[in-house]
Amino acid sequence: MSKQNNKKIIQEANLETSHQITRKYFFKECFSGIGAMALGSMVGGCDWLGSKDSFGNFTNTNPLMAHAPHFIGKAKSVIYLHMAGAPSQLELFDYKPELLKLDGQDCPQSLLDGKKFAFIRGVPKMLGPQAVFKQRGQSGAWISDNLPHLSTVADEISFLKAVQTDQFNHGPAQLLMHTGSPRLGRPSIGAWVTYGLGSENSNLPGFVVLTSGGNNPDAGKSVWGNGFLPSVYQGVQCRSEGDPVLFLKDPAGIDRDLRKASIDAINEANQLTYNEFKDPEIVARMAQYEMAFKMQISVPDVMNINDEPAYIHEMYGTHPGKASFANNVLLARKLVEKGVRFVQLFDWGWDSHGTDVSNAVDIGLVNKCRTIDKPITALLLDLKQRGLLDETLVVWGGEFGRTPMQENRDGKTLPFKGRDHHTEAFTTWMAGGGIKQGSSFGETDEIGYSAISGKVTAYDMQATILNQLGFDHEKLVYPFQGRSFRLTDVHGRVINEIVA
Amino acid sequence: MESIIKLIGHFHPLWVHFPIGILLFAILIHGLSSWEKYKKLEAALPFTYLMGALSAVFSCITGYALSNNGDYDANLIFKHQWLAISVAVISLLGYVFIKTHKAVYLKWTAFVLLILIFLTGHYGGTLTHGEGYLTKGVFVEDKKVIKNKPIIANVQEAVLFNDIIQPILEEKCYGCHSSIKKKGKLRLDAQEWILKGGEDGLVLHAGDPLKSPLYKNILLDPVDEKHMPPKGKPQVTEQERRLLEWWISSGASFNKKVKELSPPSNMQSVLLAVQNNNGSKVQVQAIPTAEIGPADQKVINGLKKMGVTIVNVALNSNYISANFITVPHANDTINDLIKKINDNVVWIKMPGMVFNDPLVNVLADCKSLTKLSIENTNISDKQLAILNDLHELQYLNIVNTKISLNGLMQLNNLKKLNQLYVGQTNIKETDLARIKTVFPNATVNFGNYNVEKLITDTQILKVPQKK
Repeated sequence: MSKQNNKKIIQEANLETSHQITRKYFFKECFSGIGAMALGSMVGGCDWLGSKDSFGNFTNTNPLMAHAPHFIGKAKSVIYLHMAGAPSQLELFDYKPELLKLDGQDCPQSLLDGKKFAFIRGVPKMLGPQAVFKQRGQSGAWISDNLPHLSTVADEISFLKAVQTDQFNHGPAQLLMHTGSPRLGRPSIGAWVTYGLGSENSNLPGFVVLTSGGNNPDAGKSVWGNGFLPSVYQGVQCRSEGDPVLFLKDPAGIDRDLRKASIDAINEANQLTYNEFKDPEIVARMAQYEMAFKMQISVPDVMNINDEPAYIHEMYGTHPGKASFANNVLLARKLVEKGVRFVQLFDWGWDSHGTDVSNAVDIGLVNKCRTIDKPITALLLDLKQRGLLDETLVVWGGEFGRTPMQENRDGKTLPFKGRDHHTEAFTTWMAGGGIKQGSSFGETDEIGYSAISGKVTAYDMQATILNQLGFDHEKLVYPFQGRSFRLTDVHGRVINEIVA
Repeated sequence: MESIIKLIGHFHPLWVHFPIGILLFAILIHGLSSWEKYKKLEAALPFTYLMGALSAVFSCITGYALSNNGDYDANLIFKHQWLAISVAVISLLGYVFIKTHKAVYLKWTAFVLLILIFLTGHYGGTLTHGEGYLTKGVFVEDKKVIKNKPIIANVQEAVLFNDIIQPILEEKCYGCHSSIKKKGKLRLDAQEWILKGGEDGLVLHAGDPLKSPLYKNILLDPVDEKHMPPKGKPQVTEQERRLLEWWISSGASFNKKVKELSPPSNMQSVLLAVQNNNGSKVQVQAIPTAEIGPADQKVINGLKKMGVTIVNVALNSNYISANFITVPHANDTINDLIKKINDNVVWIKMPGMVFNDPLVNVLADCKSLTKLSIENTNISDKQLAILNDLHELQYLNIVNTKISLNGLMQLNNLKKLNQLYVGQTNIKETDLARIKTVFPNATVNFGNYNVEKLITDTQILKVPQKK
């Protein structure tokens, strides 16, 4: 019965194709064929996925098959925790006692001349640190009381204290952090990693995205998009509440066998089209159908945190059934444990301008910290006790930093204490995955305005993440529109100072 | 005027290739034309010689202009300069001999010129590329010449400048600021030169690193023209930067020992790193060092079909990692396939696998195995003992299994084991001392972590009430 159906579908597809073969098409086919032959012989020696996967196989059967990296990587997977909105480094990690002395004074003109801020106008006042700092652990890392739990695991972490960006609006800055370009259209780092390494678990997507905080990041879904890479590498957004993946359930009345039969038939037709056109998007589509079918079983299973033991819930501060950052962090651990390559978490609500109590650096920010402090600490410890921290790179950061000046939106005093967007220096950190334990790289000046040593950029962070996975960031390329593209474009330096 | 001279000087490295090329060509023409077949070439000889001689003269002028900036070793300059002038003079002489038809003299001129051109060129090359550039890395013995950093047994007793700072300068600065090259008229290879400074004045202000270009220029943006070492050259590391900063801020002493300078607390860790970084650090290898041939492709495809994720650990390695995450049970087919590639497999992940004796025996034959994750499995003490011949094993994860302390202690052959995860087993933290008797080098993780409960965890901070 199903075989007959398949035949019918294929016949229909053939009829459709013959309709499309026109005179113009015939000429185009002829010329592009000759061109492709010439091009093929020219670039034949340097393709990297086309014929040179680790086993010398052609990989067009399953684009998500696991691949070998350039060299032996220390990390096998990445959990990237992005605090969307940009958390204030001056209330969390970058301790500036000098700034406290200047609190309430006018900002010197030298810091304002020739600078552009998102909201600050005229002469703002300086704003001292709104948190109590202490040195933590043996490494003596400065962490504020806003993060009491993370302070206990300071010795696992490498801080980058002089990260710089050139984008002061959320969307472009987030895109720069994740795609290596402030403009739309480039693949995100998770897509690049999945393209390079494939997936360890054929039943789950290689790149999963989880969001919390009530909103998606300002840059939208492009921060986990596939850009010009085949769409099979884009991030799959899952939800921790309700159906984990929308539109994945079978409609009423369709059983699993029928679903399987229909996917088989569609893929058979797609295979014929692929044989004719060799468009990688067709393979991507086939793989996605297969994946979606497997995910109908595997995703509800892995996305279910109800069965986790009580001590785990206690440790992470999770409440099953609720949408929360903590739940997402626990899911991230579960996904990585199951072999998912790249897990991207976005938590919205870190934009501490001081326009509202929820974004005051001394109130709203403290509350945000309380929602992430315990789960992130639990994540590091839990990965460690499962023997996974060495092979899982955990990255934490925002898209830029915040000013040492108090924001005076449109020249007016705001009702709460807040800081404006700041591009010249902010803090991010990495842990696990072959990163040094208990170290810090980069310094800012006495008031945390500019970086004075150990400056790094988004490109450097990306190069480092790829390096930990076993990639030379200059060699992980994809040919597109006549040239090879890479995540770090023409930039990027592996931050060897924090590599163990 | 000065800038014009400078500009002319900068043309020297380009221009020198004209006399070399043209004069060698003239000599070639000269040689060939004695042959009947190439007799016609003789007509070009006077012109070629004249062009060669004139370009040699102009090279001398540009060279003199360049030498004035004082970036180079005077001794080498002297040799290069006078050899070059003699090339110019003798090539002019050659032209005169041709015009006056003194064929015998011309032969000797050509011979001398050939030698002089090679010598001049060699010294010129030494000036730009440094001593020993020609033979560097060509002969194996050269490797021995590379100087090892001095070994520091006790950093407190080390003389800060001689033992710690100077090696940094030697590695990162001497290339352009020492006896051979003196870029910016600066030498850093002895105390007197460092104190003397360069063409822009002093480079060292004892006590004030941020006023000392020697330190300040390291901090500049890498794309800044004054950033040192220049873009593309090996950069000063964070550790070296902090050492330099402390050396200058502590008074830039050239003879005091570290302990005499009473290092501040934040320098202790850096100094300790200097002491430990004596090059003797044993690098842990993720895979065995022995070379191995590629695994059978058919076997690999077979395992993939069974659902095993199998992949080379790197593009240039034939060692393989195998992940059984989607395979809950092994069977005879899988066992047979692994047996066929067991020497290639270095990492195995089998979380939650249902173990039986045949599977354990298969694992025991994977002699290259360095990493084994068998957490959440039903493996028994008896089965674990079979793995005692995995000599390369470095990482063992038996979290959440029934393994007991005695079960683990059976693995007394695994001398390389350095990472051991035993959380949620019958093995307890109090057993650490006993475990260490068998695995002295291992880091043992017992898990059982918890994150303390704080009142603030669930409290929500509100706007303080105004009085």
